[in-house]
Amino acid sequence: MEIELTRRAETVNELLARYGVKFGIYKNNEFKEQLFPFDTIPRIIKKEEFAYLEKGLKQRVMALNCFIRDIYGDRKIISDKVVPEEFVYISSGYLAPCAGVVPPKGIYTHIAGIDLVQGKDGSWYVLEDNLRVPSGASYPMIAREICRKSSPDTFETYHVEDNRDYAKLLRWTMDYVNTGGHTVILTPGRYNAAYFEHSYFAEKTGAHLATGKELTVEDDYLYFVDYSGRREKVGAVYRRISDEYLDPMTFNEESVIGIPHIYDVYRKGHVALLNAPGNGVADDKGIYYFVPKMIRYYLGEEPILQNAPTYLPYYEEDMRYVLEHFDDLVLKDVAEAGGYGVVFADRMTAQQKEDFIALLKREPRRFIAQEVIDFKDIDIVENARRVPRKADLRAFVLMVDEPLVWKSGLTRFSRDPDSFIVNSSQGGGFKDTWVLSQ
Amino acid sequence: MKTLRFHYHMELSFSEPVHSHVYTLKCLPVTGAAQRIETCAYQISPAGRVREGRDSFGNRMLYGTVEEEHSLFTVDVNGTAVTDITAPCEEQERADCSVYRYQTSLTRPGERIRALFADCRGRAADLSFRDKMRVYTEAVHESLRYEKGVTDINTAAEDALALGRGVCQDYSHILLSLCREERTPARYVVGMLMGEGESHAWVEVYDGGRWLGFDPTNNVAVEDGHIKISHGRDYRDCSINRGVFTGQARQRQSILVEVTET
Repeated sequence: MEIELTRRAETVNELLARYGVKFGIYKNNEFKEQLFPFDTIPRIIKKEEFAYLEKGLKQRVMALNCFIRDIYGDRKIISDKVVPEEFVYISSGYLAPCAGVVPPKGIYTHIAGIDLVQGKDGSWYVLEDNLRVPSGASYPMIAREICRKSSPDTFETYHVEDNRDYAKLLRWTMDYVNTGGHTVILTPGRYNAAYFEHSYFAEKTGAHLATGKELTVEDDYLYFVDYSGRREKVGAVYRRISDEYLDPMTFNEESVIGIPHIYDVYRKGHVALLNAPGNGVADDKGIYYFVPKMIRYYLGEEPILQNAPTYLPYYEEDMRYVLEHFDDLVLKDVAEAGGYGVVFADRMTAQQKEDFIALLKREPRRFIAQEVIDFKDIDIVENARRVPRKADLRAFVLMVDEPLVWKSGLTRFSRDPDSFIVNSSQGGGFKDTWVLSQ
Repeated sequence: MKTLRFHYHMELSFSEPVHSHVYTLKCLPVTGAAQRIETCAYQISPAGRVREGRDSFGNRMLYGTVEEEHSLFTVDVNGTAVTDITAPCEEQERADCSVYRYQTSLTRPGERIRALFADCRGRAADLSFRDKMRVYTEAVHESLRYEKGVTDINTAAEDALALGRGVCQDYSHILLSLCREERTPARYVVGMLMGEGESHAWVEVYDGGRWLGFDPTNNVAVEDGHIKISHGRDYRDCSINRGVFTGQARQRQSILVEVTET
C-alpha cells in the first residue's frame, strides 16, 4: 500500500519545524531543543481492533483511579492483602500529604498515557501506565493537521477518525472538575522538555498558559494575575510540573517554580489539580505488577488488556525465576523513567551481570523483571527506503464521568534498528496513529 | 499527670527588609492520647491574613502571606497542657500507623545504622516491647555526643551517626531508623520540654495499642515533662516554620520555649 502522504515527508517535516514542534533535553547540564523526527507512514489500527483497545483502556484507568482513591482513603486493598503495603509506602509516588484529601469529583487520573506494544502475534500488552504528567498528545495532533494540509487526497482516500478533537476532550476534562473560575495550564516555562505542548494545548483549549509567578493564593483561593495586574479566580489547573515542585510549603521546600499554598487551596476543595497530586503511586513500576489484580479487585472483571509478563524479585518464587532466566529478561529500576534504568540482561558483560545480581539481591524491591516482548516492527522511511523499526503506542485516556479514549495516540519508534527503547529523550521519532472509522 | 504552662516564642530576623513573605507554621500543640491542651492562644506579627488548617498527619497549621516589608517576624504561643494522661488511642490513629513503618530519605540506614541495629537487637531479644525500646533509646543516646552546629536540617541519620555528634533531631532520626528496620511504626515528634530552652524532638513508637514516647537525646521515656506540638515521618513533616519571601536577605531564626508547672 502506498500512501500519497509518504511522498510529502519533506514538506511535512519542514512545516513541523516551522511550527516549533520540538522537545527539549538536558545533556551535560545544557538545555538543547531538538526537533522530534516525524515519519509519515502512519500506524494504522482497524476500527474493531481499536474498539477492543478502548474497552481495555477504560477498564484499566477505572481500576487505577479506584486504587489511588483507596490508597489515600480506606486502604482496603492493603488490608485485604491484595497489594503488600510496603509497595505503596516505599514508592516515590506515594505522597503522605495526600492521605485523606479527596480531589474534586474523586478523580485522580484525569489524563493518563498508557504505553502499549503489539507483539509479533498481534496481541497487545501494556508496558507502562503514565499517570503523573504524561506528555505527547500534541505531536500527533499537529502532525495530523500538517499532513492534512500537505496531502489532502490521502484523507479523502482513507477514512480516518479525526484526532483534532483532543483539545475538546481536554477542555471537557478540565471543565468537569473545575470548582468555579478560570482554567489554567501551569508550565515550568520554556526550558521544559514539553513546552511546545503546554503552549499548544493552551492555544487549542482556550486556557490561560501560566507559570507559577502568575498564580497567587489568598484566603484559600487561587488567583491568576495577568500582565495588567488584574486578578481572576482559578477553578482548575492542568499542571505540567511534577508533584514535588508544586508547592514549596508542602512538598520540596526548594521549589521556585511552584505556588506556595496551592496545595492548601486544593486540600480545602477550592481548586482542581489535573492530574491529582500523589497519583504517581499507581504508575510506579512495582505497582504495575498489581494492575490486573486491581481490575479484579475493584471492578470484579477479568482484565481485557494484558501486562507484559512481569516478575517481582520481592517474591521469593519470582526471584528464583529471575535468577534462572536472567538472560532472557529485561530489568527495570522502578524509580526511573524516560527509558533510563532499563537494562537487557543479554547485553551485559559477565562482570556487569554479577554486579547487577548482587544489587538485585540487596534491593529486590527496587526492580521488576519482564520477558522481552518481540514487538511487531513498523516500517519507517530512511534514506528513501522502507525499513522496519520497533515502535510503541501511547494511548491517551481522559476522565470525566467515565473514561474517554482518544481515537489516536502517539506512536514512537526507535531509530536504532537494534534498540527497543523508543523514548523521545533517547533520540526516537514519532508517527501519526490512524484509527480507521470504517 | 501534670498541668504545665507553656510559652513558645519564635523570631525570624532578616538582614534586609523582605516582602511577600509566605509562611506555614506548625506550632500549635494538639490534644491527643497522651496530653490535653486546655488553653492555647497565638500571636503572629506581622501576620498578614492567617488561615488555619490541618495536615494529613493531624497537625494544626497556621499559614498566610505578609505582603508588606518587614525585618522581623515573630510568633508567640501561650497555653496550658495536661500531660501524661492515658486517653484511649483513636481508631484513626491506629489505622494510620503503617506509613510510619518505612524509612524516609532522612532515616534510611547505611552500614553504621545496620551495625548498631544488629547489636541492639541482639541485646534486646528477650525483652518486653518497652524494655527493648529503652535499650534502643540508650544505644542511640550513647552513639552521639550532643553538639550544636555540626549537623543541619538535611543531615541524614546515617551521616550523623558516622559523625558521632549532633542534636535532638539527629538522635531522633537514628532511633526512628532502628525501629523501622524491624517495621515498628515510629514517628518523629516536635515539642517542648520542662524548663527553658529551644524546641525539642523525640520519637513515638506504636506498641500495637498506644503510642509511647522515647527521648534518645535525654535517654528517658516520655512521661509528664514533654508537650508534643506535631508529629510526622521525619523532621521535614514537622518543621515548625516553612517560608519563602522576596528580598536579598539573610535570615536568622531563634526560638525560646518556657514550660513551667502550675
